[in-house]
Amino acid sequence: MQENWAAEHLQVIRTLMERSAVYRRALAPPMTFAGLLGTAAAWIGWSRDITTPRAFVLFWGAVSIVALTGTFILVRRQAIKAGEPLWSPPTRRVSQALLPCLFLGAVAGVLVCLQSGVQSLPAVWVALYGAALHAAGFFMPRGMRLFGWAFVVAGSGLLVVMALMPFDLSPHAIMGFFFGLLHLAYGVYLYFTEQRRNPA
Amino acid sequence: MNPEPFLQLDRVIHEKGRLAIMSLLAATPQLSFTEMRDTLGMTDGNIMAHMRTLHEAGYVSVTKAFQQGRPLTTYSLTTQGRKAFTAYIDLLEQIVEQTKKKDK
Repeated sequence: MQENWAAEHLQVIRTLMERSAVYRRALAPPMTFAGLLGTAAAWIGWSRDITTPRAFVLFWGAVSIVALTGTFILVRRQAIKAGEPLWSPPTRRVSQALLPCLFLGAVAGVLVCLQSGVQSLPAVWVALYGAALHAAGFFMPRGMRLFGWAFVVAGSGLLVVMALMPFDLSPHAIMGFFFGLLHLAYGVYLYFTEQRRNPA
Repeated sequence: MNPEPFLQLDRVIHEKGRLAIMSLLAATPQLSFTEMRDTLGMTDGNIMAHMRTLHEAGYVSVTKAFQQGRPLTTYSLTTQGRKAFTAYIDLLEQIVEQTKKKDK
């Protein structure tokens, strides 16, 4: 039937355009990995009392490098399994979208290293990380933009609250909650929803 | 059913291989030959033949460069190609819409 043929053609076009434009690697493994790592790092940072600005920034800088390396390995494994190039156009666009805000976060960390007081740094990192995820979310499934927005709103909210009524909460607790537990929760959520969306 | 939209379909695009290539290029600023071949699972000869047709129709532009001493060929849609692809999609949607109205 001609009408069925036209609808099928449109579906094929949509699928191909998504394949070309949307980042399709499963996000559950890297999210869960980042969540476990973030939670463990927060506990280590808190129990070892890593509080000086320099030690705090170096510690979390090292954690972020481990997280990025682990994510890279997981994504590379998926690409090899799917027989697709690792540095595909969507991967390139996602990386380019993430980079400015992550770079700004690193600069903020260095500045804190040179000054004193790490109290507001986790909130700045949370907001910048959220902005990075939101930018990358334009080339990823829609949920990532919402996840990014949640970080932007929470990070900004924390900064406002800290300015209006300073409270004594361990910066590691904030890092652990946002970069650990929230990622872990999102990773678990994705394990179920991604499998349902991509049954193949 | 009004057969007119069907008859207006662009014959250059209305071929399985070329339609796949146009769909990929419509969603991304540019793609290399290798990326296209790996994504579509076509042979080198097949892609080159379709590319020649699309290039001759003025729908695709080709850029040849060198990256780390190796030749790199990238393709992108021209303005004319993007217009033709949009028109093709519009016609397909018209056909689907006509059918839906007819069914009601």
